[in-house]
Amino acid sequence: MFLCYVLKTASHPFFLHNPFLYNFAVDYGGSSQKRETGTCHRVTRAGNSEGERGRKVTEEKSHRDKGRRGNIKERRKGIKEKYEVEDECDEDAPKRMKNRDNKKTRKNEEGEKSKRKTKIKNVKEGNDGESDDVKWGRSKKKEKAKKKKGKQELVEESSESESFSEGGELPEKKEGFTQEELEQLKEAVDEKRKLIITLKGKPWPMRKKLVTLRESQQFLEKYEGALGKGKGKRVYACKVIVMKKWMKFQRDLENFKTACIPWEMKIKDIESHFGSSVASYFIFLRWMYGINLILFGLTFGLVMMPEALMGKPYGSMPRKTVPRGEEGGAMDFAVLWDFGGYAQYSVLFYGYYNNQRAIGWLKFRMPLSYFLVGVGTVAYSYMVVIRTMARNANRDGGGDDTSFNFSWKMFTSWDYLIGNPETADNKFASITTNFKESIVEEQESQKDDNIHLTRFLRVLANFLVLCCLAGSGYLIYFVVRRSQKFALDGLENHSWWERNEVNMVMSLLGMFCPMMFDVISSLENYHPRIALQWQLGRIFALFLGNLYTFIIALMDEINRKRSEEDAVKLNMTAWEAGLYNGTSVGNASGPVPVHPADVPRGPCWETMVGQEFVRLIISDTMTTYITLLIGDFLRALFVRFFNYCWCWDLEYGFPSYSEFDVSGNVLGLIFNQGMIWMGAFYAPCLPALNVLRLHVSMYLQCWAVMCCNVPQERVFKASGSNNFYMAMLLVILFLSTLPAIYTIVTIPPSFDCGPFSGKNRMFDVIQETLETDFPAWFGKVFSYASNPGLVLPFILVMILAIYYLQSTSKTYKVANLDLKKKLQTQNEENKKKNKKAALKAAAELEEAKNAATCRQETECGESGQDRDITTSRQDRDITTSRQDRDAPSQQLSRGKASVNPLFPGLYTEMHLTGKQIRIPHIKRRAQQFLVVVKQMHILCAFALL
Amino acid sequence: MVSPAIALAFLPLLFTLIIRYRYYFVLFYRAVLVRVVQDFLTGLSREERAFQYVLTHATPGNPDSILDAFDHWCSKVEFISNIGPKKGLVLDRLLRENSPLNVLELGTHCGYSAIRIARSLTIGARLYSVEMDKSNALVAEKAIRLAGFDDDMVELIVSTSEEVIPKLKEEYGVERLDFVFMDHWKRCYLPDLQLLEGSGLLSEGTIILADNVIFPGAPNFLRYVKRSGLYKCHMHRASLEYIRGIKDGMAELIYLGAK
Repeated sequence: MFLCYVLKTASHPFFLHNPFLYNFAVDYGGSSQKRETGTCHRVTRAGNSEGERGRKVTEEKSHRDKGRRGNIKERRKGIKEKYEVEDECDEDAPKRMKNRDNKKTRKNEEGEKSKRKTKIKNVKEGNDGESDDVKWGRSKKKEKAKKKKGKQELVEESSESESFSEGGELPEKKEGFTQEELEQLKEAVDEKRKLIITLKGKPWPMRKKLVTLRESQQFLEKYEGALGKGKGKRVYACKVIVMKKWMKFQRDLENFKTACIPWEMKIKDIESHFGSSVASYFIFLRWMYGINLILFGLTFGLVMMPEALMGKPYGSMPRKTVPRGEEGGAMDFAVLWDFGGYAQYSVLFYGYYNNQRAIGWLKFRMPLSYFLVGVGTVAYSYMVVIRTMARNANRDGGGDDTSFNFSWKMFTSWDYLIGNPETADNKFASITTNFKESIVEEQESQKDDNIHLTRFLRVLANFLVLCCLAGSGYLIYFVVRRSQKFALDGLENHSWWERNEVNMVMSLLGMFCPMMFDVISSLENYHPRIALQWQLGRIFALFLGNLYTFIIALMDEINRKRSEEDAVKLNMTAWEAGLYNGTSVGNASGPVPVHPADVPRGPCWETMVGQEFVRLIISDTMTTYITLLIGDFLRALFVRFFNYCWCWDLEYGFPSYSEFDVSGNVLGLIFNQGMIWMGAFYAPCLPALNVLRLHVSMYLQCWAVMCCNVPQERVFKASGSNNFYMAMLLVILFLSTLPAIYTIVTIPPSFDCGPFSGKNRMFDVIQETLETDFPAWFGKVFSYASNPGLVLPFILVMILAIYYLQSTSKTYKVANLDLKKKLQTQNEENKKKNKKAALKAAAELEEAKNAATCRQETECGESGQDRDITTSRQDRDITTSRQDRDAPSQQLSRGKASVNPLFPGLYTEMHLTGKQIRIPHIKRRAQQFLVVVKQMHILCAFALL
Repeated sequence: MVSPAIALAFLPLLFTLIIRYRYYFVLFYRAVLVRVVQDFLTGLSREERAFQYVLTHATPGNPDSILDAFDHWCSKVEFISNIGPKKGLVLDRLLRENSPLNVLELGTHCGYSAIRIARSLTIGARLYSVEMDKSNALVAEKAIRLAGFDDDMVELIVSTSEEVIPKLKEEYGVERLDFVFMDHWKRCYLPDLQLLEGSGLLSEGTIILADNVIFPGAPNFLRYVKRSGLYKCHMHRASLEYIRGIKDGMAELIYLGAK
């Protein structure tokens, strides 16, 4: 029952609970949050010392009432006059109507207030209190009327309360204030502040809340400045104004900052519609975009730009010229689309770069820069991923989440960022089904019949998946081999399909195999979370297998190219000799100007690798977008518009709208990044392409999600999965740097293309720099430092340090857990103690009540109505909105505090409606008890935090 | 010319589709293929075959036994889209809880749901069952009589629903309907509901139960019900009768009275 109630209240008025939206509303009203929070603290503190304050208020009240009663008549006269004035000026009639409505609300407020203050004369006091409060509104109106009509004489006629209000508005005239009036003003201001804070919890419609909020804020703005004393008044007023301006400025700055975060609003929008799991994908995408932007900056700024600006221009060398044979079709779109022709002989690829040590007037060390950027991008990626992982790991804290399983589910399953009713419904449904499932699970954990069938099915499913993986791996291998055959034949003899077979097949397999895994996994009957992990693991294996098959095939290709290169080298010497002979015969002066396009050249395997990766990325991107358009958009169009004339329900039934596949998309992104890391060394344009792709897919996917996807049936939380993604990213990073580093270290670079041509290995560039650009002693130091005798101890020390740090962090974790447990036990103890105290207090209260009724009966004749002392509804500030109204107000006299048995800190409130209590010490007891309860609540809140 | 390797890459998609929509294939096989073949072989209609099976396997005068026989035939032998035993429980519960006096059933088919409703009716209650197809109505009549319900209890009206509903008041003397069960053409749900509203037969608290609102589905009907505000709508989610994997649901509407 309680569960249903919580869920209902949670799902329906979510914008009332939502602190973000509420703050927004407050902002809209034009007040500063700071003030609000400030007052909030104040009031809670006041709430803590409720006992003393309550008594004080009573005394003050009774004292003041004596003085006030004399004024009532005068004031009433004043009010009457004011009404007359109001009737005269009908211009702002609608406003007045509104104000009268508000009067009602204030009356409610006042009702509570008057009860709390334990006044002696209930009826009169109620009226008085009301006039006391309403007065402010009226006097404001009076002010307006006065300004409009210019009836100055009314000021003299009106009662002192009016002049007082005037004084409130104009601080200069405030000299005439009496202490009492200041007191009243202060009280009214306090009242308004309290109203603003407790507004969230009022069971009113939103519009009314907004109106009340705005009016209270206006009131506060008007009169808050008048509260200072003596000379300090103006300073105080100034201070308040400056503070407000400052706050407003700060808030605007915050808003501006939020507006500066790219796509923040878009992501928030999606989050509100689809829950945080979908949003986590987009946040991940944005993060990836940031990283790629930096990689792009590095490669573009340090490699591509210098080469384009300061390196030798196009056509000056053989490696920078399209060979004669390809010149005819070098500008065709089909060739450019395959990154051949002019695109191949440009800064986009490795082969274009020259091995000149320093280029341009800056003496830019190009080969060194190329090498360092290649290493630096990978190192930077490692650093960022590991740092993010560490930060995320700090955030989850650790601990056993398995205890209090149901409590966690009950109190933490709601996603407060959802702002769309449909998603809220889905979430509601998913929570209920989740509960049902976990209850069933709990029941079935004891009896697990037919375990053999499930085991068999699981083995079968895994077998099927393995078959699928092997099949896809073989298919890719087969296709790559075939493409090599095509390449030997010459690509021009084959169709587009055959030329792009590898990429097509890889993309298609990457698209359809996960679907198949998803279908197969329904055999296994796992819990959805575990099923999701299996699914992710399988897709990971598939992608990895595909990628590595591709790389192995590429390795074969590289070896082939290298043997070809050797042949070319031999031919080259022959060609040069022939050229030399020819020229020596003709004219003997100097070398012959041979056009660089005619010079024979090696195959340049580095450029080939870069091209392959670029093609792969392009085809992958295209497949993603096309799937998006066909699978999501066209399907959504079909479902939406053919539903009018179809024999079954398309929206609910067979095709339905698609859901956003978080796991598949995340994995796609991760593998895409892996390919970038792998290929970026041989194709410096890859980060730029990836930035472009991510940018487009951000917009496209945002649009597609909002336009043609439906929220998932099981909306699950994203928290905790982020680190999982990061871990996968790290694995992929490692696995993708592995082949890149292998090729760099083991294979000698091509002899006639790229920045390292002519060197034995690519990393020789460092040695070269050390020898030529640094002083001799530096080289010596470096050679000593790289001595294994130094390096090995260093590594040893590092390992020891890592071990030490890890063990200390483990100890801290354990200590944290212990503390957590301690807090929990303390909590339980407090709960028990509290229960005991409540029972005791209740018993005494019962006694007191009996006594009081006895006495009442005897006193009945004497003191008439003087005796109603009611303490009622001591609203707690912790309470969230609707519980206020809905929760059964349990009377203390029945000995039950409405402490939620499961979670005392969360939805609790005390309704003290002990009626007709006269005996003070019982009250004090109750108040002490209240204080204890409140302290306990605060403790629990801390524990929760 | 598309290379065979690319075609092979579509294999997982094919398998996925086959596995994911296997229940629909099963349904297609049982509801269409088997029916066509059997029609050709026996020369009888599907309903007549079902009735023959029931006649030979059930105890006359015992509605439970007849329903069981129907269920067995529909799940094991061939397929007829009756309400089925699982969704039937919801129907039984609603009837038992509300004990309606005047019940209207749209779409008798072969009498399964009529027997089911009549079984749970109180004494003095009356079921008007509307069937459009004459041969089906004959079978249904026989089945209902076999179950032991006479003309006072179950009245079979052979006509289309849009003709019957306006005439219910005059010709059949129905003052108000307490319970309406819809299981005929899904396309007719909405017009018939509007006819019922217009005829004044619905009164506050009348329950309307519509079967198969998700598969094959009546989207317009549901949309109208949700928008009109005349009904309190509750969805009973279940699977399609006699086939496990296809989701289906029944919509239970409670008429809140004309505005």
